[in-house]
Amino acid sequence: MSGPALQTAPTAVLLIEDEAPIRKFLRAALEGQGYTVVETATGQDGLTQAAMRVPDLVLLDLGLPDVDGFEIVRRIREWSGLPIIVLTARGQDGDKVRALDAGADDYVTKPFSMPELLARMRVALRHRAQAAADNGNGVIEIDRLRMDLAGHEVTLGGAEVQLTPIEFRLLATLARYAGRVLTHDFLLREVWGPSAVGQHHYLRVYMAQLRRKIEPDPARPRFLLTELGVGYRLKDG
Amino acid sequence: MSPTDERNTLPTREHEPVNRGPAPAALRPSPARAAEVTGWKAYGGTLLIVAGCTAIAALMDRHFDPANLTMIYLLGVVVSAIAFGRGPAVLAAVLSVAVFDFAFVPPRFTLRVSDTQYLVTFGVMLVVAIVIGTLTAWLREQRAWAALREQRTAELHRLSRDLQMQAETERTRSALLSSVSHDLRTPLAAITGAATSLRDGSRTLSEATREELADTIAEEALRLNRLIGNLLDMTRLESGTLSPRKEWYSLEEVVGAALSRLEPALQDRVVRSNLPDDLPLVPLDGVLFEQVVWNLVENASKYTPAGGSIDISAGFHGGELRFDVADRGPGIGPGDERRLFEKFYRGANASGLPGVGLGLSICEAIVRAHGGTIEAANRAGGGAVFTVWLPLEGVPAAAPARLPEEEPARIGT
Repeated sequence: MSGPALQTAPTAVLLIEDEAPIRKFLRAALEGQGYTVVETATGQDGLTQAAMRVPDLVLLDLGLPDVDGFEIVRRIREWSGLPIIVLTARGQDGDKVRALDAGADDYVTKPFSMPELLARMRVALRHRAQAAADNGNGVIEIDRLRMDLAGHEVTLGGAEVQLTPIEFRLLATLARYAGRVLTHDFLLREVWGPSAVGQHHYLRVYMAQLRRKIEPDPARPRFLLTELGVGYRLKDG
Repeated sequence: MSPTDERNTLPTREHEPVNRGPAPAALRPSPARAAEVTGWKAYGGTLLIVAGCTAIAALMDRHFDPANLTMIYLLGVVVSAIAFGRGPAVLAAVLSVAVFDFAFVPPRFTLRVSDTQYLVTFGVMLVVAIVIGTLTAWLREQRAWAALREQRTAELHRLSRDLQMQAETERTRSALLSSVSHDLRTPLAAITGAATSLRDGSRTLSEATREELADTIAEEALRLNRLIGNLLDMTRLESGTLSPRKEWYSLEEVVGAALSRLEPALQDRVVRSNLPDDLPLVPLDGVLFEQVVWNLVENASKYTPAGGSIDISAGFHGGELRFDVADRGPGIGPGDERRLFEKFYRGANASGLPGVGLGLSICEAIVRAHGGTIEAANRAGGGAVFTVWLPLEGVPAAAPARLPEEEPARIGT
């Protein structure tokens, strides 16, 4: 894993994708952004490369012909916490959730825009850095929304927002992973405990309440974003 | 019709012997035979008929000339022919002649004939028996063949109807293909044009032009993606492989997701959503229903001029959820209220607007898969309104209002 000593080195991305045109444009775009790119077309080779080169981030296509993408996430997670972003096709909601629950950091759906992918990569890299520094209980500010996780205080444009304990715990979980998608089951486990897994409607009720308290227009959320069929994401600060 | 044709449509062909195809002539008796009373039953019946005739003739014998008694026997022959066919009829004729000669022709109770006139009577009886027997047998065959022909005609009729339907499907498919390929090519042409301009004119083009071309590529690629997505959804919905996975959803959340995905396309059109705060959770497939909302709002936005507004509202009526998307566009042409939901149908006011006529069909297919209905109407004061009705069943289990273990102390550790 990249330590502080490597900070000056360019960020290395391992790209596991079987489609040559996708590899081609990703390499060009990522190198244009200052990343170094190692690419491979198969899952088997991808696993080998991940272990040999230890990149800073993995971009993994979920539709590889040789190994199930979910399996690759699981095998990498056996030995490493390095950020993994999965590239999925439309209609693969189930696979995407499985990959996220297996430990992938985030996803983009093909066709995706480059700014979208770069934003996901930045968030994933930042969270790894924060996790390494054991930091993530401080104050998080997103536009006019200010969340003091340690002090249990949430303000919107300076005015305090009254939250119930569940609402606060839900918002705090989202805030700790700001910018990252969190699956329904992950949130349920974090907020209500393992027995609540599968009860997705708990989240719908409490997200609606939270939105009513912090969103200017709850029907067009600015902070608490919905990833239908997957989970929720707090807007990145 | 050639013999081979007959074979192909002959209903009995499954029972034909497997050895080498039978000659056409061999097929002819088969339908007649099937309808016949066969074997000893037919010949036994013939014996009974002749015996009956003899009994009647014996009763008449005292009052009638023997020549008249032949009429009774002739009747017996005709009945045998009609009931049992040619063979039994001939048997009836021979037997009748013998019995008549034996019992009624002098000298009685011998087979000798005193008057040669009776030889003519015998001859005529035999000929009549054979002719009638042949005729009836032929009639029976005709009847069987007529039935066969009728069956064959019905089959041909069915076949031609199937062919016609196939041709119609083929026509729809080719219309569909030409429509789809046109709509696939338009964005592809724009993308190719813009990309090649960028490649070849990187030095001569101004910054603004380059940006415009890049925007074109991104926008048209998205359009292509939507079209392919729609086609895929339609195919999957029609084949039944895309079935709703219902969960308890907040309508507000589904609408919100659709609106945020639509944001770039809306430009400066205003969407006013009026969803009651107390709307309970609704059982639906969020991903699919978001498509419905997206398509309805996108459709409304196409008919809404820049700066115009689109109204979204919802409510409960008689145990059903009512969801409306209304615009102030040109409204719906007369007779289009149902047709708008047909695949590839484009409303009278749709000319010049992008689209293939799939969005509303997809909406209908998804809504129907949820057990609901969708309808289009003209809005009071101008414009169109699309209304979705969804059935509601049951209520979700309430979320525990208290945390399982300690209160939020866990947070921040």
